[in-house]
Amino acid sequence: MSDSPAVLEVEALGVRYGGVAAVRGLDLVLRKGEIVGLIGPNGAGKSTTLHAIMGAVPVHTGEIRLRGRPLRGRTPEAIARSGVALVPEGRRIFAELTVEENVRLGLAGRRSQEGAAAAVEEAYALFPMLREFRRRQAGALSGGQQQQLAIGRALVASPDVLLLDEPSLGLAPKIVDIVFGALAEIRTRGISVLLVEQRAQRTVAFADRTYLLANGEVRLTLTPADAGDTEAMVHAYLS
Amino acid sequence: MTGPALVAALDAQTLVDAVGLGAIYALMAVGIGLVFGVLRLVNFAYGQLIMAGAYTLAFTSQADWPTWMGIVMCFAVVIALSTALDRLVFRPLRTQSPAVMLVTTFAVAFLLQNVALLVDVRDDTIGEPAASVASLNQAVRVWGVEVRKVTFVAVAVAVVALSLLALILTRTRIGLQMRAAATDFATARLLGVRANTVIAVAVLLSAVIAASVSVLLTVQNPLVAPDFALKETIIVLVGVVVGGIDRLWTATLGGFSIGFATGVINGALPTDKTVFLPSVVFALVILVLLLRPAGLFAGRRTSVVERV
Amino acid sequence: MRRFDTAAQLLAPAALVVATAVVGSFTSRATEIYFLTAICSVGIVVAIYVFVGNSGVLSFGQISFVAVGAFASGVMTVPLDSKRGVLPDLYPILRDHTIGNLASLVLAAAIGAAFAFLVGVPLMRLSGLAAGIATFAVLEITHNLLREWTKIGPGATTLSLVPETTGLTQAAIGTVAVIAVAFAYQRSRFGRSLRATREDAAAAQAVGIDVHRQRLWAFTLSGALAGLAGGLYVHMLGSITADQVYLELTFVTLAMLVIGGVTSLWGAVIGALAVSGLDSFLSEAEQGVGVGFTIDLPQGARLVVLGTLMALVLVLRPSGLTGGREFGMPRLRRGGQLPTDATSEGAA
Repeated sequence: MSDSPAVLEVEALGVRYGGVAAVRGLDLVLRKGEIVGLIGPNGAGKSTTLHAIMGAVPVHTGEIRLRGRPLRGRTPEAIARSGVALVPEGRRIFAELTVEENVRLGLAGRRSQEGAAAAVEEAYALFPMLREFRRRQAGALSGGQQQQLAIGRALVASPDVLLLDEPSLGLAPKIVDIVFGALAEIRTRGISVLLVEQRAQRTVAFADRTYLLANGEVRLTLTPADAGDTEAMVHAYLS
Repeated sequence: MTGPALVAALDAQTLVDAVGLGAIYALMAVGIGLVFGVLRLVNFAYGQLIMAGAYTLAFTSQADWPTWMGIVMCFAVVIALSTALDRLVFRPLRTQSPAVMLVTTFAVAFLLQNVALLVDVRDDTIGEPAASVASLNQAVRVWGVEVRKVTFVAVAVAVVALSLLALILTRTRIGLQMRAAATDFATARLLGVRANTVIAVAVLLSAVIAASVSVLLTVQNPLVAPDFALKETIIVLVGVVVGGIDRLWTATLGGFSIGFATGVINGALPTDKTVFLPSVVFALVILVLLLRPAGLFAGRRTSVVERV
Repeated sequence: MRRFDTAAQLLAPAALVVATAVVGSFTSRATEIYFLTAICSVGIVVAIYVFVGNSGVLSFGQISFVAVGAFASGVMTVPLDSKRGVLPDLYPILRDHTIGNLASLVLAAAIGAAFAFLVGVPLMRLSGLAAGIATFAVLEITHNLLREWTKIGPGATTLSLVPETTGLTQAAIGTVAVIAVAFAYQRSRFGRSLRATREDAAAAQAVGIDVHRQRLWAFTLSGALAGLAGGLYVHMLGSITADQVYLELTFVTLAMLVIGGVTSLWGAVIGALAVSGLDSFLSEAEQGVGVGFTIDLPQGARLVVLGTLMALVLVLRPSGLTGGREFGMPRLRRGGQLPTDATSEGAA
């Protein structure tokens, strides 16, 4: 895996909110076909990093590159259309649109409309529930179903990179299994995944690599082999 | 005037005219609601767009252009002006609070009105006649009721325009994107929806509607002055807020209702009894804003209109 | 040094007003009116600022209080013998009594305050768009009542024969008083509490500030000051109509505040004087004025210029000429401006 080309590179990223540095000097790399985790305590800057990649918050310092081309300074929609898709925290689905309309909305991020119908079919294949409920109002879905919708919506854009912001938040364990299972399936389709999560143990065990963030910077890089070593993680969290 | 007497004074004539007025106000409400949906901006200057179209009709009429050409020119001018407003004023203000945007459109409205005054007054009179379209103001007798042709046209235009708009919003991709943007613009952008495109389309549709209203109103009031459509805009804004500005259909319903109500009241009550009508209407507006900030027709939903 | 800075924040605007009066006293009678108008405008704009600037809540309705103050003090100072003839339909208490100049100004302030309080109790719960529209409704109601209700005023006709007791001296004293009160308020506990809600209403509430009550105090005070300014205004003009205290004045005074800088007293004063000066110049230009060469503007151009200026400031420099700072204050990191609304889902 470590000799795959880098799909997403973040170098010395710095993001400020007012006078406070939310992210400082962050370096991370996502290679093709990898699942990379991003864990850390609240306020560590994980969400901010994803939003900075998407261009939703202004970047103070540093570089972000997608397949070698810079993302910094571009609008969110331009970045989305370059092949990066975000599954936002809290799902942020459009409650009053139908499930199908929510999915179709994701097509706006496609680089080319060719293959749109196929992409929608693939999303329905991954999450059969979406096909079953496609005429329902999205707001009527349960939390877990909405999470599946949010991921499906991001997938129909056929992105190279999928960013997920705490997808398991507030979900029952059975649903979390479905989500992680879907992520594994997504990886086999050649999509690289950057996964921000609160569930540290599970993420470290699941991802190819996991960065541990605290106070806006990377403290540790972990592999699945480190999944049992809670002491190091706690130490990093608290420092 | 007592209740029963009021009802008795409502003849078919008044009702028909009120429906015509309601149709025009509904169109204006849609025009305002479309832009509000994507920009969260209440365009106080909407009436001035209509005024600009009316002046175009007046000047082309005086220059002896054929009526259809004047109407085409009217659409062109309104669309151009609307686009200019969007680029120069609305877009730079997108990040400001609704209050700043409201004040700015207020300033623009004043500005445009006085520009019109400057242009109008060159011939030393205020008011320009638009004779070419006046033929639609003639009446036909239908089942014993005098209906002006323009009332038919107004209702027809409203029905067609609203239906087309509904189709665009529900069946096209850009319509879907507009609906999403009106709910949660930030997330829509993260999905790849182009902000500028969605806004431009909303502004364009809104302008086309403004131009249509321009024609309809000019037919009924062929003498165009700088305050053309000003009173109507204020009334429609009231109707839209009372109906519920958050959703397009509640805004439209609000616009139609207030137009219809205005038509009925003006037709049924003699003029000397209606002098305090504005006070009553605005007092009701305040009441609605206090009790149901989301509007009369809205359900229980968090509203853009905040309360402390 | 601190105390000097604070004093300067009050003295600078006050001194500017006094200076305007002094300069005006040396000009001809014809030009004196421009200086008088400028000073009266300062009073009105400062009154508006007391509420809008400190609370961050937009109000289109403050001119209602100017209107009420103007009409009340105007009607009550029209000489008794003329009043019965010119305004026969008034309620007897208004028609059969006349009060003096000073008393009428006090009355103007009192009525402005009472009306503002009455309106404010329900309305101060609203923010943002709703407040703007609700206060606009108040403006419309006031205008409608003043225009049609002949038992409290002249109705659609002009209220004239009001004694012209506002010369440069009265205008200056009255306006400096308004500035002083505004300054005292913004430095008081009430003013500071309200400013806290301007930045973040939810946070302020969490700290125990009663947002509704603080806004109500400011609104009432603003009404009192606006009423007083209205009283000064009507005694300057010697007459008043309902249309003179309606949309155009609302627009112009709001423009003055925005152009000067919404969030500071200095901004209110600077904006009022600068725009008033410009307005006077443009009025002269509409009749042809010589500035080395002759500028001859067509009628109505001044409002176009004013509107353009206001729109430009709002788009390019929303914090105004003064940057929303008081006199002598250093540039803050986030200079004052109308706050971006936390709930607005603009396409940022």
